[in-house]
Amino acid sequence: MTSEEVKDLILEIIEDIDDEADFENLKADAPLRDQLDLDSMDFLDIVMELRKRHQLQIPEEDYPNLATLDSCVTYLEPLLKDA
Amino acid sequence: MKVPLLVIGGGLSGLAAAVRAARFVPEVLIIEKHSRLGGLNSYFYRNKTLYETGLHAITNYAPPGEKSAPLNRLFRQLKLKRKDFSFCQQQQSEVTFLGCESLLFSNDFNLLLEQINSKFPQCIDNFQKLLLFINSINPFLPSPFRSAKRKINEILGDKLLTDMLLCPLMFYGSSHENDMDMNQFVIMFQAIYLQGMFRPLGTIKNFLDHLHRHYHSFGGKLRKNTEAIKLLHKNNTVYGVELKNGEIIECEQMVSTIGLDETKKLLSKKVSPAQPRLGFTETIYEIKPEKTCSLPRDKTIIFYNNSNEFSYKNPDEFVDHSSGVICFPGNFQGIERKEVVEVRATHLANYTRWKSIASCRDEYLALKRRTSRKTVTNLENIVGSFNSNIVYENSFTPVTIERYTAKIGGAIYGSPVKVKDGDIGFKNLFLAGTDQGFLGIVGSMLSGVSIVNQHILAKL
Ligand SMILES: Cc1cc2nc3c(=O)[nH]c(=O)nc-3n(C[C@H](O)[C@H](O)[C@H](O)COP(=O)(O)OP(=O)(O)OC[C@H]3O[C@@H](n4cnc5c(N)ncnc54)[C@H](O)[C@@H]3O)c2cc1C
Repeated sequence: MTSEEVKDLILEIIEDIDDEADFENLKADAPLRDQLDLDSMDFLDIVMELRKRHQLQIPEEDYPNLATLDSCVTYLEPLLKDA
Repeated sequence: MKVPLLVIGGGLSGLAAAVRAARFVPEVLIIEKHSRLGGLNSYFYRNKTLYETGLHAITNYAPPGEKSAPLNRLFRQLKLKRKDFSFCQQQQSEVTFLGCESLLFSNDFNLLLEQINSKFPQCIDNFQKLLLFINSINPFLPSPFRSAKRKINEILGDKLLTDMLLCPLMFYGSSHENDMDMNQFVIMFQAIYLQGMFRPLGTIKNFLDHLHRHYHSFGGKLRKNTEAIKLLHKNNTVYGVELKNGEIIECEQMVSTIGLDETKKLLSKKVSPAQPRLGFTETIYEIKPEKTCSLPRDKTIIFYNNSNEFSYKNPDEFVDHSSGVICFPGNFQGIERKEVVEVRATHLANYTRWKSIASCRDEYLALKRRTSRKTVTNLENIVGSFNSNIVYENSFTPVTIERYTAKIGGAIYGSPVKVKDGDIGFKNLFLAGTDQGFLGIVGSMLSGVSIVNQHILAKL
């Protein structure tokens, strides 16, 4: 996956969790949590969807890497390079 | 046959736990002892009419857009869509202590504020302090039992107001006699006074059917009429369940929603010494209102007390008529007036007494009729006469509840001892639902979801 594709994947997953999520003014380097009103339960969904779709096991201590769209890309791109 | 997750009990907590897990791993299996889903909140038929067993009102109302509200979080976690449901908010409800005072409240918190301001003006500043105090507490942090009653009385400095505020919260969610745990008080205060009450436009059956279809669409499986009689375990690890018909189902993880002691019994473990559990009777009246009968149309639920001291405990007599809950399921916003209206009444009841006569069918039925009559007299004092307009009545006792949900002592709110983290000393068996500690419909569903999130998902 390219970094653009990783970004799209994350947005697609978030849209799937919350179909009213508003990506209009989303800043890639600011926390997704505050911008989209997500809570820790929603983050667990992102982790579980990545596992379901790409068999990725993300350990709990790595969850902070999913905080912003940019950090998601940095963290996930190497893991998804063959996907 | 081996399943990744076996859920014992198809009540609301079991259904929610199973939907949550099945979203990510199909082949989840629920086993339910009865022929219907829903447990305490199910339905039955009499004379071809559907009756709900337990639904008065669902707590934790929130409008669709409020993302962090418990109701909406629950829906997101289960991938349910708000637009697939029509929710009707309550009109207004009332706590009335006869001969003393009454307070109205609704889904607009300002009504309660105004009521306290006008009826307990000396307490309004203290009430604001109570709100600040409630705000300062994280009710989900595990902590030992703290008496809510003592603390609130201390803050408000008024025993009557304390009891009046506690009355609805106790009836809708306390497994403790004459008190509540502080965390539980905060959860219930938010659920009932700050968020409010509603019901689905249809029946609980529509709601359960929707959940079941949804679960099925993720690949989840359900076996009804299937009772677990033994949980099989070795070295603090469960590996399966033995059914009443002798069949064995193996599993990797297990969630039990049937109660703490109920689960321990199936594990052949010692149960904790008996503590008083609270039983209730519920009576349903179908009323054909005519000119002579003027039941309120603007009240959804009335919580009443007519004794000097509000008592919430296992009564000595069969039924404690001195307090209770009166519900008008037709009095929610957006529900059309029907030709026959329903009134429901709940009272505290003594399980042991009812059990002692349950085997003498005639005596048991006669007593049910007598207490139902006494309930009418009490209700008429509050809502006006309707006795001559009753076209049907039915009541159930703690013994009925025990029979249909296998709850010890027919206690709706289960054991006074709660296991907040669901951990009962097993590596792969966790407790959800009533005895995990979140009560009511939204509470029990959140319980199922959070136990699966905390303990199951990562290992599936
Ligand atoms: C009369 C009444 C009125 C109520 N009113 C309201 C209300 O207005 N609003 C509200 O929010 N809440 C209300 N409640 C409370 C609410 O119904 C409960 O808090 C909630 O449904 C509890 O769900 P649960 O899944 O924890 O437990 P349960 O519903 O008890 O589920 C447990 C399930 O396990 C099954 N089971 C037990 N043993 C076995 C076994 N060995 N093998 C297989 N299955 C087994 C039982 O049959 C049951 O279906 C009311 C309850 C009653 C009884």
